[in-house]
Amino acid sequence: MMQKRLLYLLLPLLAILTACDLEKDIDVDLPYHEPQLVVECYLEPGKQIRASVLESSGYFEAPTPPMVPDAEVFVTTPAGKRVQLKYKPLMIKSTGRFYTHTSTEIMNGKPGQVYQLEVTDGKGRKVTGFTIVQPKVPIDEVEWKFNDKDKAYLLTSFYDDANTANYYRYMTHIDSLSGGSDRDFVTSDELTNGKRVSYGSAYDYEENDTLIVTLYHIEQQYYDFISSVSDAKDANGNPFAQPSKIKSSVEGGFGIFTNLAYDRKTVIIRK
Amino acid sequence: MHIYRITVVSLLLLISLPSWAQRQVVQGYVRAATNGEALIGATVSAPEAAIGTITNENGYYQLNLPEGEHTLQATYVGYGTATRTVTVAESSQSINFTLEPASNELKVVEVQASSLQQKLNDTRMSVESLSSREAKLLPALFGEVDLVKTLQLKPGIQSGGEGTSGLYVRGGGPDQNLVLLDDAMIYNPSHLFGFFSVFNPDAVKSVELYKGGFPAQFGGRLSSVVDVRMNKGNNERIRSTGGLGLISSRLTVDGPIVKDKLNFSVSGRRTYVDIFTRQLNRIKEGDKDYNPIPDYYFYDLNGNLNYTLSEKDELSLSGYYGRDFFGFNDSGFSFGFDWGNTMGNLRWRHKFNENLYATTSLTSTGYKYNINNKIDIFSFKLSSEVQDYTFKTDFDWFVGDGHSLKFGAQATHHDFTVGRLNFESEDSTLSFGAGNTYSGSEFGLYASDDFVLSPMLSFNYGLRLSGFNSSGKTYAALEPRVSAKYTLNEHTSLKASYASMMQYVHLLTNSGASLPTDIWYPSNRNVQPQRSQQAAVGVSHLFGKGKYLITNEIYYKWMQNQIDFRDGANLFVNDSLENEFLFGKGDSYGNELYLEKVNGKTTGWLGYTLSWTYRKFDGINNGRRFPARYDRRHDISLVLMHQLNKRLSLTGAFVYGTGNAYSVPVARFAFQDVEGKEPTVIPIYEDRNAYRLAAYHRLDLGAVLKLKPRRGEADLTFSVYNVYNRRNPYFVYFEQQKDKNNEQTIIGFQAKQVSLFPVIPSVTYNFRF
Repeated sequence: MMQKRLLYLLLPLLAILTACDLEKDIDVDLPYHEPQLVVECYLEPGKQIRASVLESSGYFEAPTPPMVPDAEVFVTTPAGKRVQLKYKPLMIKSTGRFYTHTSTEIMNGKPGQVYQLEVTDGKGRKVTGFTIVQPKVPIDEVEWKFNDKDKAYLLTSFYDDANTANYYRYMTHIDSLSGGSDRDFVTSDELTNGKRVSYGSAYDYEENDTLIVTLYHIEQQYYDFISSVSDAKDANGNPFAQPSKIKSSVEGGFGIFTNLAYDRKTVIIRK
Repeated sequence: MHIYRITVVSLLLLISLPSWAQRQVVQGYVRAATNGEALIGATVSAPEAAIGTITNENGYYQLNLPEGEHTLQATYVGYGTATRTVTVAESSQSINFTLEPASNELKVVEVQASSLQQKLNDTRMSVESLSSREAKLLPALFGEVDLVKTLQLKPGIQSGGEGTSGLYVRGGGPDQNLVLLDDAMIYNPSHLFGFFSVFNPDAVKSVELYKGGFPAQFGGRLSSVVDVRMNKGNNERIRSTGGLGLISSRLTVDGPIVKDKLNFSVSGRRTYVDIFTRQLNRIKEGDKDYNPIPDYYFYDLNGNLNYTLSEKDELSLSGYYGRDFFGFNDSGFSFGFDWGNTMGNLRWRHKFNENLYATTSLTSTGYKYNINNKIDIFSFKLSSEVQDYTFKTDFDWFVGDGHSLKFGAQATHHDFTVGRLNFESEDSTLSFGAGNTYSGSEFGLYASDDFVLSPMLSFNYGLRLSGFNSSGKTYAALEPRVSAKYTLNEHTSLKASYASMMQYVHLLTNSGASLPTDIWYPSNRNVQPQRSQQAAVGVSHLFGKGKYLITNEIYYKWMQNQIDFRDGANLFVNDSLENEFLFGKGDSYGNELYLEKVNGKTTGWLGYTLSWTYRKFDGINNGRRFPARYDRRHDISLVLMHQLNKRLSLTGAFVYGTGNAYSVPVARFAFQDVEGKEPTVIPIYEDRNAYRLAAYHRLDLGAVLKLKPRRGEADLTFSVYNVYNRRNPYFVYFEQQKDKNNEQTIIGFQAKQVSLFPVIPSVTYNFRF
């Protein structure tokens, strides 16, 4: 009873504290930022080679990313074929993906083979990069278990190759690939080298949920890039985080040039 | 050159010898009248002769006075002043002082200040003192009196941010402070991510903080020594002291067990916000929109036992145990996080004769954190720990002829457990672990001489030999220390000091806050010890009939082998931590001005620091020098205390500081990512700490109203933190502004500033009987 009374005494104080607006808009003067090329190019076996080339902008400039129509994009295949990606902005409606440069060349590289990228533009800027095709790592098992509240957790398992340093990106989606991922993280095999690895979840799922589980076997440069992107986003708004620079896989600008080797399974959660 | 040296030495001897020929030793003890406890660090001075000293571990002092009549004055923070007239003739004399506690709080401050003459005459410089009684007068956040936060009001000592108790001393980091509680080191002196310190104000008697000019007996940290002394039990009767506050309550019981032989003191403090939050969770149970508030509390236990074996021997046992606990429980899911320090210290003080004393101690001190996470059959445990065992012996030898020697040795064995991780499932389908253990041995040997060459000129010079061994690698270094005082006249003295310091154990933290998950790590083959050197000069001037002392000090500090981390470093679960380290340099310089007013009904101080603090690492900011986050060009603090009448005292503190150096993104790019991801905006960071947060300023007001209880003493302490409700910046971030119609289209970006504490009134009831 006494506790309750004390609580009622405290509640007005808590209300005052929470009512105080402790956040406000301010003006920040930023130094001039020299725009740099931003390249995204993912090579996916059996698919056309496409890329997007944009520019970075000062933080408070117009929100639409500037396009670079005079950018010339070349991808050199393992066979030495220099493929030019033509400037032809394109939005894939089904996925919402946007490309500025496309080609008809199909990516058919084998694990261990190297692709190279070169982007130049009228301002003399030049971005280069390379990627080594990764072997796919198969998902061994996707399982789930219900608790007494009819909620299930998900467990995805695979075998790590003990002979190589491996990096993974794990994603789950509910129902479809559009609308953002349910879970997404990158890891290395530093603590799990050569073992059967399992990624779990909380009791987040219900009966009849459709889950799309994707395991990417990624390059270290992609792992570094994704980690740095995540750290940079975290640093903007987290007072405990330290500022983080973007570790691009390309030289001369920002961005990523890599290949996507992944295994994907779709499951429906049933009791 | 040789002739020049001889000439200088001869001149010095000519100046000093005649005066020494007519000098005699006056010695004795300073004790508390209430319990006979030796008062360590009490001031004994002969103001007319401009000579003074402070008492040692046994409350013993020794002065060399010229023949003639002198007025000796003994003062100690929290006690009244005792005065004795002594005629120094042909032989040495013994004069003991017994000090009564000050009758009211404000007088305490006067007493502290009445030793300004001694401060002027002291060879030491860059030292700040504070008593628990003094700290209790001043307004405090949530009414929680905190000695460490009060120290932040002194020049040259900064806080890291709003409300935090971390100390940034002359450009050093919070891990570079040697925090000693009754001579035993405390690794993490803070609760709740640094918002409160671990020192219960009822358990603590006083604190001294050295910003520079470090005496040779201290070693192991670069930037400061925070020497905290616990209250000892009294020898008269069982006594209770305590308080009921807004977020915590505390109780201390002390008294004799065997009169004049054995006494004890036990203190406890606990927060109780968790009681309210649990109640709130219970009321809201079943409300689907309500997210239960996790449990959080912290507590401290302090205790000591003092046993007088004989006139020459005294044993004391002191200990500290404190824990923070953060927990959350839901069906099938539980999360627990606890962290804290544990310290035990056994000391034996022995008096060989009036001129030679020894203090020998055995200490065990440690800091650990544990994280326990359980989801159904899966459990995740992570812990880190540092545990020390120290043997230490210190000798005080009053040699005579103006020499007082200190010498001693220290040996510490460290055990480090770094990031011990265990992840498993009850059905054994999953199990993996990580983590490392290291050990290290640290030693120190030192000798120093407090040498009064003449009434005008005195030195404190010493040498410390320190060393460290871990993983087959041994480091050793000589750390010279020297300070000197030259009295220009009765009112003015000049001081200078130089100190070299080594630090062999490092705190790994990549955040601005004092997080419990910060890890302590030893020097080894790849991680070299940190080193700093500091030179300072100062001038002190006493005026207004001894009521005011103005001190100005200029310092320059340079540091090597500073540790930082590569961008995106992972310190949480990482078996190859050293791959994340970057090593660099640091330097700091500045000017500290300090004006103290001590007598009359209104007392207080004004401090102004002008300083610069930089770091330089090959892997940060493209190798260019950058300002440290706590680089603060201007730092002002004004503290005033006014006694309105016998029952009511009013206090106020105003602080102003240049905004912290901060990193904000200068640019951004759009990142589409792979199929199945929403496009996002990625911030681009360029120069480190190139942006300045808005200036920090705040006014706190307080009042202490003495009550008239039937028994004992009591008061109500009122406190208003941040009176004019200034929105001080805690951090800044950039937010996307979206079209209100579809909540998707980005229409612009806006910088936002987040503040932490608005105006916060509080009241605390304190009692003593």
